[in-house]
Amino acid sequence: MSLIYVSKLSKRYGNELILKDVNFKADEGEIIGLLGPNGAGKTTFIRLLNGVIHSDSGTITVSGFNPAAQGDEVRKISGIVTESAGLYHQMSGKENLEFFAGIYKVGAAKDQISRLLRLFDLEEHQAKLVGAYSTGMKKRLGLAKALLHNPKILFLDEPTNGLDPEGIRIVLSYLKKYNKETGTTILICSHVLHQLETVCTSFAFMDRGTIVEQGRLKELEEKYIKELEITLETPFPIEPLHNILGFECLRKSDSYITIKLRSKEDISVLLKEILKSHPVYSVVHENNSLESIYFNIREGGNG
Amino acid sequence: MDKSVILTLVKKDIIDIKRSKSLFITLIVIPVIFCVAIPSILSAAALFADIENMLDAESLKLIHSVLGKVEQTAGLETINQQFFYTAINYFLPALFLLVPIITASVLGANSFVGEKERRTLESLLFSPISMKELFIGKITASFVPSFAVSAVSFLISGIIINSAGYLLFNEWIFPSANWIILILCLSPLVTMMTILINVIISSKVKTFQEAQNIGGVIVLPVIGMLVGQLSGVFFIGPEFLLAISIVIVVINIIMYKRITKLSDRNSLFENQIG
Repeated sequence: MSLIYVSKLSKRYGNELILKDVNFKADEGEIIGLLGPNGAGKTTFIRLLNGVIHSDSGTITVSGFNPAAQGDEVRKISGIVTESAGLYHQMSGKENLEFFAGIYKVGAAKDQISRLLRLFDLEEHQAKLVGAYSTGMKKRLGLAKALLHNPKILFLDEPTNGLDPEGIRIVLSYLKKYNKETGTTILICSHVLHQLETVCTSFAFMDRGTIVEQGRLKELEEKYIKELEITLETPFPIEPLHNILGFECLRKSDSYITIKLRSKEDISVLLKEILKSHPVYSVVHENNSLESIYFNIREGGNG
Repeated sequence: MDKSVILTLVKKDIIDIKRSKSLFITLIVIPVIFCVAIPSILSAAALFADIENMLDAESLKLIHSVLGKVEQTAGLETINQQFFYTAINYFLPALFLLVPIITASVLGANSFVGEKERRTLESLLFSPISMKELFIGKITASFVPSFAVSAVSFLISGIIINSAGYLLFNEWIFPSANWIILILCLSPLVTMMTILINVIISSKVKTFQEAQNIGGVIVLPVIGMLVGQLSGVFFIGPEFLLAISIVIVVINIIMYKRITKLSDRNSLFENQIG
């Protein structure tokens, strides 16, 4: 049975329909990327999963609990990092963790706080007021706050917003490691697709208030990438036919050519042919990224 | 309901009050004005000024009209004694009531709207804290400092009044029945009422300023009391204070019931965070 199961969920604010007929599921131990443009309804969806707002129709089950009726049970097993991090700026990093440890009734809080401060490299800054923290430090402290009570599910709303590339790398690699070590299910909301490609085990695409597609990268690739486009760095001449073994070619620049293939299997066939007479310095996939899939889905292209 | 969660919330709010300059200044400046400066000026006037020549006929008439309603006027021979006795027992209590009202009003308004403005209310609502724990924690965190400030202010003003009073009357004149009812009964009840009103208001409005503006209306009945007393419309004696206390108890019970009905996470979240 799925850890999170959502069926035909709808939510309205006044006259505006924010979520409509959302279906979603997440298995235990997964890292799911919830992707979609700003305003797609991702934050509202997380709020509904945590039972802080109520839906107008549909079913939600989180670890067997109904968030609308058993919200506290859901919130006991879930940790959340909201976009604003929700930290008290007039208190130090350590005071913030002590406060939330009290609210979440964390046992052996002192040890847990020291461990998390060490883990997120905040030991040195623990006595500083959070108002004086950098964005990266706040995000790390927010994550430490969310992990205080060893949650079973972690909800992260735009966890890398405002971080520099190094900060993004640290946060994402930590999440991957944490998931591997503890088996915690993680739901990451983001609109920055390329960051999540190597972190998530599956993806859900949200658009205009509904989840339009969900699956593992490989499944999505098979479904949405019908024609593979690769770029080769090679001096191989394609003129005048613009065709190698029947595959359509296009010269991008002096040493780069772009070729359209039917599947991944065609790559080795093509390379064998080129390597007979010319070297190949690099091969780059142009359209099998998460981003390509995302745009395919948004354009309504089912292959 | 878990007491440790409430205590955690109260401790956090008190740290917050101590570190917020504007809140802390309100907690210091208001009591200093009403409980140190005004009693000191009244004491100095009673001890050193020629009240008879200083006050106009209207004011003197007012003092006599109040005294006329006080049964125990023995020992009030000089006009300075009469001025001091009247001011301390019949005018100062209304002013003193402004201390718990203003402090509780600022702290109560800050309780929810402050969290909302700093975007931390979301963190609290996403935690497993129950709405009852949240409301009781917030009410306690506003009540304890307001009450403590009122109690300390009362002690300080008591020392000032008694020092001057002893020089004037050769005996302790403070606290009188009015003051005892005020401190033990009316002041904590008014503090609670102010906080409850502010918690209701601040769970509905979105900015601290808005909460304060609406919450400020609570000062009006006290000013009305003061004006009523000064103009001789009514007389604030112990019976009057007790009667007001009973009315406030009823108001507080009604408001507490309303708050427990308001305690819906969903509506608070949608109202405050949107």
